[in-house]
Amino acid sequence: MPSKERDAVSERERCVTGIEGIDHILNGGIPRGNTVLVSGSVGTGKTSICIEFLIRGALEAENSLYLSVTEPTDKLLKNVIPYDFFDEKLIKQGKLQFLDLPKIYEKLGIDKDELSFEEGRLLVDTIVGLVEENHIRRLVLDSATSVAYRLKEQERIRDFLLRLGMMLSAKNCTSLLVAETGHNGEMYSRWGVEEALADGVIVTGNLERRGDLLRTLQVVKMRGTPHSRAKYVLDLTTSGVLLVPLLKGGSVAGGA
Amino acid sequence: MTVATEISDQLLRLPEASAVALRLKSEQYFDAIQGMLDLFAAKKDLNVIYITSTVPSQSIINALEVLEVPMDHIWFIDCISQIMMSTEKRHAHAISVESPTMLENLMLKVEFVLRKNPDRNALVVLDSINSLAIHNNTKILSEFLHILVNNLRSRGAYSVIFSMQEYETDEIRNMLVLVSDEILELSES
Repeated sequence: MPSKERDAVSERERCVTGIEGIDHILNGGIPRGNTVLVSGSVGTGKTSICIEFLIRGALEAENSLYLSVTEPTDKLLKNVIPYDFFDEKLIKQGKLQFLDLPKIYEKLGIDKDELSFEEGRLLVDTIVGLVEENHIRRLVLDSATSVAYRLKEQERIRDFLLRLGMMLSAKNCTSLLVAETGHNGEMYSRWGVEEALADGVIVTGNLERRGDLLRTLQVVKMRGTPHSRAKYVLDLTTSGVLLVPLLKGGSVAGGA
Repeated sequence: MTVATEISDQLLRLPEASAVALRLKSEQYFDAIQGMLDLFAAKKDLNVIYITSTVPSQSIINALEVLEVPMDHIWFIDCISQIMMSTEKRHAHAISVESPTMLENLMLKVEFVLRKNPDRNALVVLDSINSLAIHNNTKILSEFLHILVNNLRSRGAYSVIFSMQEYETDEIRNMLVLVSDEILELSES
């Protein structure tokens, strides 16, 4: 990369995630306003990463919003790791908000399984409206895959994600979109369009090595910052998500 | 001079952030643990993170209880009890890692304990390089030691790596030379 371009890139304001390992990988955090796909199969830590991202933001006085599609908020909160740094006051003060997307569907009068092109756009406008109204700086949509299931067609999914990403970026809101993938790890998202439209892709996975199953994390794409593309091993703890480099000296099954 | 006081004295002479390989004979094992945990760590007000892959943490805790060593500032990362399918009750200060082959998880648990207890500097004991070498090849073990020791060094923590002389190989000796600032041996007692 030419030095001028590199300097311009390094000047972009960062959204410091507060997850030390990820900020280190990204050379200081996610470029502010980026839309990042957090992609992986079940049980790999996607939701924990996203919730920590929001709590850390709220602690730094950045209003944060979690949009839950599949799991009701109260059930989700019960299952989330009891983080040492979590303070219930954040919810009471409105700095950390949780909202069930089905309630938004209900408000908008969307009762069909399949969302039309217009309904997709209406959903984006509603989410962006919430961001504006509540001065949200960090947003998580868990999961984008569930919304995409209802949009069904690639063209509608593309429009939804593109519009959402652009409008959130214009509001300086940094967003994480959760994408559920299968176990084969061939694609970063179910439809393949999500990763192309996102500014960044963080992939979580399970790596089997000689019978041990390790949780891994890898940043494969992040516009606006140089970053490590190496694979890391992660642990979900009450102190938050911890990361260490994946050791390369051993034999690794599956060429991972 | 006893083994316990000798090791404590030798460690006290070293600057903070030192990485030490401690070459032990089997009969010196428990005395060395006492010297580090009871004498050295107590004198320096250190938190101790004891990684055990040799004997289950509960065996060491039992020995410490007999010696009346307080456990308040000692934590164990135990990567042997689980693999032994041990049904023993786990101490509140013992964290389990599934297998001694999960070296990254050992590093993660060390990081976790360090974060939970930031009030004091730490002494991290690795017991032992020989037992880890049973389960891991030299390449991955060297990589693990290199990352772990340098990470601890950057935080000002002491690291002590046990090596049982009876089970040392040339590869293990080379590894210890590579990562350690000092290689200590105790006198015949």
